[in-house]
Amino acid sequence: MRRNTIILFVVLFILAIFAWAGWANWEYRKQAAEKLLSGAGQGELVPAPGGGAMNYVSPLNGKPAPAFALQNLSGSKVPLASYKGKAVMINFWATWCGPCKVETPWIVELRNKYAAQGFEVLGIDTEGDDLQASDKAGWSKAEANANKFVTEMKVPYPVLLDGDSISRDYGGLDDLPASFFVDRNGKVVAASVGLTSESDIEGNIKKALAD
Amino acid sequence: MGRMNRNRICAAIVLLGLAALAGPAQVIPPAAQNRSIVKTDAVQYLFPEQVTVPAGKATPVTLHFRVAQGLHINSHTPSDEFLIPTSFSIPDGMGVQLGAATYPPGTIISLAFDPKTKLSVYTGEFIVQARIVATPGNHLVQGKLHYQACDQSQCMPPKTINVPIDVIGK
Repeated sequence: MRRNTIILFVVLFILAIFAWAGWANWEYRKQAAEKLLSGAGQGELVPAPGGGAMNYVSPLNGKPAPAFALQNLSGSKVPLASYKGKAVMINFWATWCGPCKVETPWIVELRNKYAAQGFEVLGIDTEGDDLQASDKAGWSKAEANANKFVTEMKVPYPVLLDGDSISRDYGGLDDLPASFFVDRNGKVVAASVGLTSESDIEGNIKKALAD
Repeated sequence: MGRMNRNRICAAIVLLGLAALAGPAQVIPPAAQNRSIVKTDAVQYLFPEQVTVPAGKATPVTLHFRVAQGLHINSHTPSDEFLIPTSFSIPDGMGVQLGAATYPPGTIISLAFDPKTKLSVYTGEFIVQARIVATPGNHLVQGKLHYQACDQSQCMPPKTINVPIDVIGK
């Protein structure tokens, strides 16, 4: 009888340990899933109306564009807020990004076409989070490359540096080019990731300019 | 006999209870099932995991890598000054020094969005031959491969991955 009692308690103890292990495993998986979900606020590709190519839908669509103040090539701080009342295309690019180089002449042309209607482009150089903050030589080279790129491509709009510092606010910027189209009230009305077409960019500019 | 049956029944109940408790832990929340899987690295180091080299003598070691399907990375000698070359290095202080690295020639491609521009790239599997000098002993080396990857219409930021090699200097 006594032996049976001991066996019973041992069994219950082992059972309790496994119950705890099962609960701990479930909690871990729940937290991992939550982490995955929170990191997945980077936008999704959805089919365009009428089929065909996929459209990029940013979680920022319909929301105020996250504020920032970044340094331009002359060393002055430029806040996004100073463009309130204008439609703005926030264009994240990098000198090492081939598709960015292809779309830049289109953006220059469209900016010149719609500037009189209150449209501006902010080109934000995003050389990559691989550069350590202490790597002065690396950052200096990145800035020199940006200057050279801007001169060669004849970019007339403001170009700001250190886009990596605001990349998280804009969905992580895993891929470039990435553009966010902001209306006159500061609300994101469209976004795109990757090279699209000049007509797609123009369509998004018109959305930003619409009342 | 009666006691043995009782013990077997107890054991069966315990086992069933454990199975029932462990089951829910395997459930993935539905919301997580619908999300895309976290992106993997564009380049993966394949092998070797371990090499034995004569201590103090420069010895070539062939490192095998794979670029994810659908992506390309710039070769060690890209066609444009702005493009980031693929390069391998070994940090100081690991007991193993990199004498020189030899890279394969890139494949010349052009992309649909810019057919005039030629790119020198690596795709699929490629190798880097590293001439290393190891001091005597066992060294767990974390080499570094720096690269920048793109697909047909977009580019990922430059990245550095670890290249773990157990180097035994004899």
